[in-house]
Amino acid sequence: MVLVIALALFFDFTNGFHDTANAMATPIATGAMKPKVAVALAAVLNLIGAFLSTEVAKTISGGIIREGHDGISVGPEMIFAGLIGAIVWNMATWLFGLPSSSSHALFGGLIGAALVGAGFGAIDVNVLLAKVIIPALFAPLVAGIAAFAATRIAYGITRRYDGKPDGRDGFRRAQIFSSGLVALAHGTNDAQKTMGIITLTLIAVGAQAPKTGPQFWVIVACAIAIALGTYMGGWRIIRTIGTGLTEVKPAQGFAAETSTAATILASSHVGFALSTTQVASGSVIGSGLGRRGSKVRWKTVRHIVTGWLLTLPASAAVGAIAAVIALLGAPGVFLNAVLGGGVLLAMYLVSRRKPVNHLNVSEVAESAAAVKIKKNPKPKRKVASSKGAK
Amino acid sequence: MHWENLPLVLFFSIVPAASVVALYALGIRLLTASGRTPIVAPLEFTDAIAIVTPEEILKNEKRARQAAKKSPLSQAQKNAAYVAAWLCFVSSGAVVLLGIWLILPISHK
Repeated sequence: MVLVIALALFFDFTNGFHDTANAMATPIATGAMKPKVAVALAAVLNLIGAFLSTEVAKTISGGIIREGHDGISVGPEMIFAGLIGAIVWNMATWLFGLPSSSSHALFGGLIGAALVGAGFGAIDVNVLLAKVIIPALFAPLVAGIAAFAATRIAYGITRRYDGKPDGRDGFRRAQIFSSGLVALAHGTNDAQKTMGIITLTLIAVGAQAPKTGPQFWVIVACAIAIALGTYMGGWRIIRTIGTGLTEVKPAQGFAAETSTAATILASSHVGFALSTTQVASGSVIGSGLGRRGSKVRWKTVRHIVTGWLLTLPASAAVGAIAAVIALLGAPGVFLNAVLGGGVLLAMYLVSRRKPVNHLNVSEVAESAAAVKIKKNPKPKRKVASSKGAK
Repeated sequence: MHWENLPLVLFFSIVPAASVVALYALGIRLLTASGRTPIVAPLEFTDAIAIVTPEEILKNEKRARQAAKKSPLSQAQKNAAYVAAWLCFVSSGAVVLLGIWLILPISHK
């Protein structure tokens, strides 16, 4: 049980590490905040966000894995195997700079392990569908629509037809707040997933009654873990989302972040365990489409969507393999820990060949230089006033 | 399955996001009308797209000052626009705080 809790907290750490970009890619890209400040702010707000709600944690601990009269059919060793699957996939996508979903990696790993350990009956398909699969498809789309509308509104209201300064630089200041809001929202959804896993483990070993929410120490531990992970950063992912998707301007960034935060907060409130990465990406794409003359790089979008689609089955496969090993009992759990640790160490060593941190995050500029910047078309008033006057 | 949650999320994602952005954008528009066009340079150039040279910043500030001088609004109207701009910014922040308050469990007790 202690090993599972430690690994769950490590997963929480990697989640923060992986998802820093969700909140901070756009303000860093537009120059609203210095990277180091942005990451520190994200860490603090993730910490606060983790305390705001527990609905998502309840979805994980009391929903996806079916509870029988005698408790949960999945033991802590299977939860451990699921976590190995999630972490290995998370770290692999981080290494390759592919925005994957930490949440879906977690669900995938858990489902793969549960299927091997306890069969199809262990999964509550209804809850999985209602609170994970459908929100996974629905939330990025909603965020994209919201961002599209918000961007149109922002540009529409501030547009000047007389060529005078439009003051859109002012959105850069707003981005400090909106990106902070995304970090807060991230804490309300993602930190809770680990709370749910730890609660599930406590229920599985009989240390907590079924259908109860996370204990306070669990909330505190998860909040600290996600905040630390966020602070350690995720520069490779920032590089992909911040400039890889579209040419982000302050007004657009503000619209995208506000939409991301609104979607995550609304979803957290009803217990949707969604992927904050997917929501952030949906918003950035939606806001890009909302701008005139803006060009979204669909090749990058395809790259990201492929990562999303792969996440659930890939992490489920790793979780299932780990679960097969875990079936050996205590030696299996030990072997899992050694193998998982070995894979992570190898990934870390590979990543050290080209380290990315706050000092050389301007690699972003390097990749952005290759971008063909399409100049905004001059706004034209649609009314026929000039013709009519003549 | 709780299908009613889907339209709820749809509504509470789009409407607040659009409202917050619209209020803030309106604030910027009014601020510009009041002759106080915000010129906010990027804090750090992490991105080739965001590069603005110091000369460009000075040029933008000069353009903003000239535009303010040519404004057809009286000083009283400019002051009113300035106050209205801040009301918009505050309202935008209030919508955000209301949203956060509504998700807190304490607000449902």
